[in-house]
Amino acid sequence: MEYLVSHYNYWVYILLMMVGLYAMLAKNNLIKKVIGMSIFQTAIIVFYVSTGAKREASIPIIAHGHGHDAAHTVIEAAHYANPLPHVLMLTAIVVSVGTLGVALAICLGIYRRYKTLEEDEIQEQLHDSL
Amino acid sequence: MNSVIIFLIVTGLILFLATTVGLLRFPDFYSRMHAAGKGDTLSSLLMLGGLALYEFHEINVATLLVGAKILLIAVFIFMASPTATHAITDAGYESGVKPWQKEKTASEDEG
Amino acid sequence: MIWQIDLSVLSLIVLCGFATIMVKDLLSAAIIFGAYSFLMCLLWTEMGAVDVAFTEASVGAGVSTILFIAAAYQTTRIVKPRKSGRIFAKIVALAASVAMGLVLLAAQTNFPGFADPESPASLHLSPYYITQTLADTAVPNMVTSVLADYRGFDTMFETAVIFTAGLAVIAILRRVKHIDRCELPDPYTISAGSQDNIIRFVSRQLVPFMQLFALYVVAHGHHSPGGGFQGGVILGASFILLAITYDIQLVQQRMNEKWNILLGNIGVLIYASIGFICLLLGANFLDYSMLSKILPATDPVMARSHGMLGIEIGVAIAVMAIVVTIYLNLASNGKLDKGL
Repeated sequence: MEYLVSHYNYWVYILLMMVGLYAMLAKNNLIKKVIGMSIFQTAIIVFYVSTGAKREASIPIIAHGHGHDAAHTVIEAAHYANPLPHVLMLTAIVVSVGTLGVALAICLGIYRRYKTLEEDEIQEQLHDSL
Repeated sequence: MNSVIIFLIVTGLILFLATTVGLLRFPDFYSRMHAAGKGDTLSSLLMLGGLALYEFHEINVATLLVGAKILLIAVFIFMASPTATHAITDAGYESGVKPWQKEKTASEDEG
Repeated sequence: MIWQIDLSVLSLIVLCGFATIMVKDLLSAAIIFGAYSFLMCLLWTEMGAVDVAFTEASVGAGVSTILFIAAAYQTTRIVKPRKSGRIFAKIVALAASVAMGLVLLAAQTNFPGFADPESPASLHLSPYYITQTLADTAVPNMVTSVLADYRGFDTMFETAVIFTAGLAVIAILRRVKHIDRCELPDPYTISAGSQDNIIRFVSRQLVPFMQLFALYVVAHGHHSPGGGFQGGVILGASFILLAITYDIQLVQQRMNEKWNILLGNIGVLIYASIGFICLLLGANFLDYSMLSKILPATDPVMARSHGMLGIEIGVAIAVMAIVVTIYLNLASNGKLDKGL
């Protein structure tokens, strides 16, 4: 029971990753595949951010510190959430939106060329042209 | 002061529930937008008002700043949410969504 | 860290995730994906990751949704089912995802419990960052100080990646038609976009406040959640709001293509040149404490804070220009004449 309560969140993240992977593999429409890729990315980001959470900890901003006159107060590491995963995931989110823009641009380019966004129709046209 | 805060937040919650029920049960696009737009805006404003009032339990510069920021968010929602509802309803009208007509049943025809 | 909120928000997230891939209409899928992003943002606020939640709210729920809608507008809204081999594809995909899920489930038995303060991730390097950030850099927001100072190289290359993404979108999509600049019609009479006076008025009133708020977010990133990326995305979103309610021509008159690419360049250049100035002054690349030699009346600790502000400004300029570029090119399919 203790194990269930402390580990349930990992199962939900793994479920989200499975949903994203299923969408990337099984869906016919290209933009649905891109949505699946986004779901997979956000599931991984949730996993990393959750490793930085701490029970009864506050946000990683030191509340009473403005300038260097507050250097005498003692700062305990267990009172603040771990900032390192937050930093890495900030980079990941911004890079993921860049990747999303390029993926959607490629989808638009494919639509311009093949007049369809469905994977099986594109493969038919590719086989016909060979 | 606490009772006022609880009253505001609980009223906001009940109105949110009413909005959701209306969104699911109304027969037509336009009446659903009615429920969504009005209910959403009012409930958000009530809950934000309750939260801003909670900040004013002790009055000093920090809590005044936080309360003022929450009230600014409330002003923004007051301006932007009805405009968004108007935009969606306009888009529905331009696309030709017809309003719901009550069908005449057989018993009404005879009576 | 209230586990009831955690569990309910997580179950709603899974529901939205299932719904967004099963819906048969691309516009609905984009909007449900926006709701999924907002629920993620709520989850991260509840876990204490406020900077990440702010970034996801502006980038994921704001800009990603409108990019999906612009892509669905330029292609097609209808999702057609597979013509043949439907069951086979679903079974293969299901088998692959379940296999991956089982491998990950086997791996997670060794993970530390959720929200454990003694987990290995919180024991080795991060206590140094938490306890020393005020003494080293005089910036209370630990995430900003780690992002811009302790891990400044990552952020510089991330800005370069965003710039490259904008260039890639231009390279894939842009179709140039040589039009005489004097021939562009007056944007206030173009009929694409909303004709309605209420929507145009409200968006015109909101845009200056959005931009002011974005500048506040960039400048106040040292003391509150915020920073360069969030502010840059909000600045870009204000231009996207103008493009949606009026027309792309209006945004082109204010931020045309030449200025977009120039500003993207200038953003990365500001970042790299601040690092280079530190190199010229005798320290390592991106070691801001040496800036105290040229900035008047600052000691090395405050110089790091000011150096961080400088690079955040560079990041904001670059991100704004690239977000506007990606949207304009996606919404008009490269032609930049009329669009969503």
